[in-house]
Amino acid sequence: MVPYIELRNINKRFSDVNANDHVDLSVNMGEIHALLGENGAGKSTLMNILYGLDYKDEGEIFVQGQFSDIRTPSDAIALGIGMIHQDFMLIPPFTVTENVVVGLDEEGSSPLLDLDKAARSIKALSEQHGLEVDPHARVEHLSVGEEQRVEILKLLFRNAKLLILDEPTAVLTPKEAEGLFEVLRSLADNDHTIIFITHKLHEVMNISDRVTVMRDGKAIDTLKTKSTNPRELAMKMVGREVVFHIDKNLGKSGECVLQIENLHVDDDTGYHKVQGVSLDVHSGEILGLAGVDGNGQSELAQALMNLRPIKEGNIIVNDVDVTNISSSLHRSAGMAYVPADRRKVGSVSELSVALNTILGNINHYATAGNLIIQDLQVREHAEELVERFDVRPRNLTLDAGKLSGGNLQKVVLGREIMHEPSLLIVEQPSRGLDVGATEYVRRQLLTERDRGTAIFLISAELEEILALSDRIAIIYEGEIMGVINSDEAVVEAIGLMMGGTRLEDLPGYR
Amino acid sequence: MMSKASFLERRQTPKESSSVTIFITALAIILALLFGSLLFLPFGVDPFKAYSTMVEMSFGTLRGIGYTLIKATPLIFVGLGTIFAWRSGFFYLGFEGTILIGAAAAVWIALLTDPEGAIGPLPRLLFLLLVFLVSFVAGGIWAGIVGVMRGKFGGNEVILSLMMNFVALFLVNYLVSGPLRAPGDLPQTPRIPQATILDFIIPGTRAHSGILLALFAAIVVWFVLRKTTIGYKQIVAGLSPSAAWYGGINVGNRVILAAFIGGGLGALAGMVEVLGVHFRLLDGLGEGTGFIGIVAALLGKLHSIGVVIASILYAGMEVGADVMQRRSGVPSSVIFVIQSLIVLFILASDILRYYRINLSKLFGNDRGKKTLEVDSST
Repeated sequence: MVPYIELRNINKRFSDVNANDHVDLSVNMGEIHALLGENGAGKSTLMNILYGLDYKDEGEIFVQGQFSDIRTPSDAIALGIGMIHQDFMLIPPFTVTENVVVGLDEEGSSPLLDLDKAARSIKALSEQHGLEVDPHARVEHLSVGEEQRVEILKLLFRNAKLLILDEPTAVLTPKEAEGLFEVLRSLADNDHTIIFITHKLHEVMNISDRVTVMRDGKAIDTLKTKSTNPRELAMKMVGREVVFHIDKNLGKSGECVLQIENLHVDDDTGYHKVQGVSLDVHSGEILGLAGVDGNGQSELAQALMNLRPIKEGNIIVNDVDVTNISSSLHRSAGMAYVPADRRKVGSVSELSVALNTILGNINHYATAGNLIIQDLQVREHAEELVERFDVRPRNLTLDAGKLSGGNLQKVVLGREIMHEPSLLIVEQPSRGLDVGATEYVRRQLLTERDRGTAIFLISAELEEILALSDRIAIIYEGEIMGVINSDEAVVEAIGLMMGGTRLEDLPGYR
Repeated sequence: MMSKASFLERRQTPKESSSVTIFITALAIILALLFGSLLFLPFGVDPFKAYSTMVEMSFGTLRGIGYTLIKATPLIFVGLGTIFAWRSGFFYLGFEGTILIGAAAAVWIALLTDPEGAIGPLPRLLFLLLVFLVSFVAGGIWAGIVGVMRGKFGGNEVILSLMMNFVALFLVNYLVSGPLRAPGDLPQTPRIPQATILDFIIPGTRAHSGILLALFAAIVVWFVLRKTTIGYKQIVAGLSPSAAWYGGINVGNRVILAAFIGGGLGALAGMVEVLGVHFRLLDGLGEGTGFIGIVAALLGKLHSIGVVIASILYAGMEVGADVMQRRSGVPSSVIFVIQSLIVLFILASDILRYYRINLSKLFGNDRGKKTLEVDSST
């Protein structure tokens, strides 16, 4: 049988990185093919080449046995290939139908748009594949899961036979992800072919027929999912044995360090994002805040550092009310913060590593009335940091933006830890990091906890919350659904709470 | 898709060393001069002889050097103002206005120290200190208005500062035809007292001590931006407002400070012009210096030393152009076209840091197969 898609010997270089190193990939018709690898393994590059967003340096693409020179996305679409990126490309004020037909230019059709006809075929398509969405709804009113369905409909409407999905579950709740998998299954049963990029092993095991593992730009192996297991896949992915469960003993929690009382916060557009949150974090424990991205976590963290105005409520750190003191004083009150966006918020890309290690604390490295920066002192501090946290390369004058995500995170986390805070607020600490860096960052957090620091961990990765937390709070639309001890945590229950069910309303709640 | 500019090949890593920058910049200047030489042909003048005369006139004689330094001084001040403001993320374009405000303030103080003025003669050092402060603060407040608009209310500094230039222009217009007007036909103020004029520093030339102040200011700006917490905060606020916000730096206040210092430096350009060259306030004082200084800052890559070099070179060309017009009848506009060509070529030459030129493709021999080999070997 001729494979539906065959990539032969694809090579692609970006400056000094060989993003795709002579990669072969073949995908059969009607299969769900997972492309598994760490960040930076070259998965997205390979798919961008297939979709015509990047052009290969070398190699050949065959679609149904035909040599195809795909140079632009329109070439790909003409061949029945469609791709959904992590960031959706929809126009919020437009309706679902308008979004689906936008840019579509049927030859020989009348110049007038027949939206009703389009809406009817969208309806038919969505019923056929279980893609529930109202064709007349405006996209801005849809949930993330629904938006994703619109993206899929867009592709189906263009008669795409091959669907490429780039990390489709990153933005979904566990339940929404379940729904997506059902849709994919139904599509595959109807002769659609699906390639989906992921770095999550359980998804591969759950949904795919075959899986190709990529590492350092190379395709390491292609396996039948049924005849493999997560451990084997992880080894191929990382090239070594991975610690899945960091051996974690529960923390010894001491006195209350952070006390949040009935906090209310708005986001930039005035939307009431945090609605009466009360929590407490004790020394020597990690309190995990679980929840789907965008349910008020970032606003909560920013309000804690007084980077965002507080509408109502109090924040007490070490028995001192810090609700209204300026953000620079928060650090002297023993608070430290690792923001979610380490590239744009946690660091300054065009500034050297050394100068980034003093961000937020420059007065500490200055003399003459906090005026003149002591270069020597900065260098010593930076040297100590890169040494202690193993930042590579050990080049203090390098622009921080040129560090890899993992090394940049070491700089940001190291900077915050080195001031020995009594409270550390960490947001999405391992987002976008590869397995090795993730493990490193997590171990650092546990070490910090054992040193007696109170850690408030905010993460959209449930697996991370479970791996690190001593207690888990679940947030939904700015409200805390419940707080549970991690040794009593049940994934299904947390999933339900992430979707808006309160702890006391859970079925089987005592 | 590939056919577009295919003689340019992307470099795997951009060239960033300073030797490459100097080489590319020199190449750009030479190319601009070659292109510009075409403009001399209608006048029957040998372009290369014209160029060498120009260099001789502006840098080859003491007199020429004097003129060049005079022209360079305000450019350096404006360039430094640009560095401080732009590096803080405040894209101020109102230096033309601050020059006028600074000049007006300086003339006003100078006239007050006339023996018959309100203050009367002051000791020289005290006068210089006073005129410096008043001029700087006046320009700082002038630009600071735009800074507050942007920093506190989110206004657009580009449009606001351009509009403020007109306000300054007509303000000076009003001053010289009204309150400060000297008796006589011309719309200008009286000449400032002899005691308030800047010292000449090179015998036999009109070069004045303003250049020393400019060079000193260049060192101060470098020091503040590089070595102090103020500079650190300014630069972080300019590079990444969100990181600044995270680091507890108030971006709005940084913008206002950037406006104040930038405007103050721009005002000093006006001060040295009136105290060192014109000795009075008159219409048409700026003559585009406020914009050319920004160009000099950009050519100098927003570094203090770069600005000094770019300003002196630019000033040299202007002096050379003047002389040439008088000597050989080639209009100085030819030189201004060449100046602009140089700026364009230098700004465009940046592309060579990211791309290399494939000569065989440029000249079209052996298309196709050979190209592929070259592509894949990179």
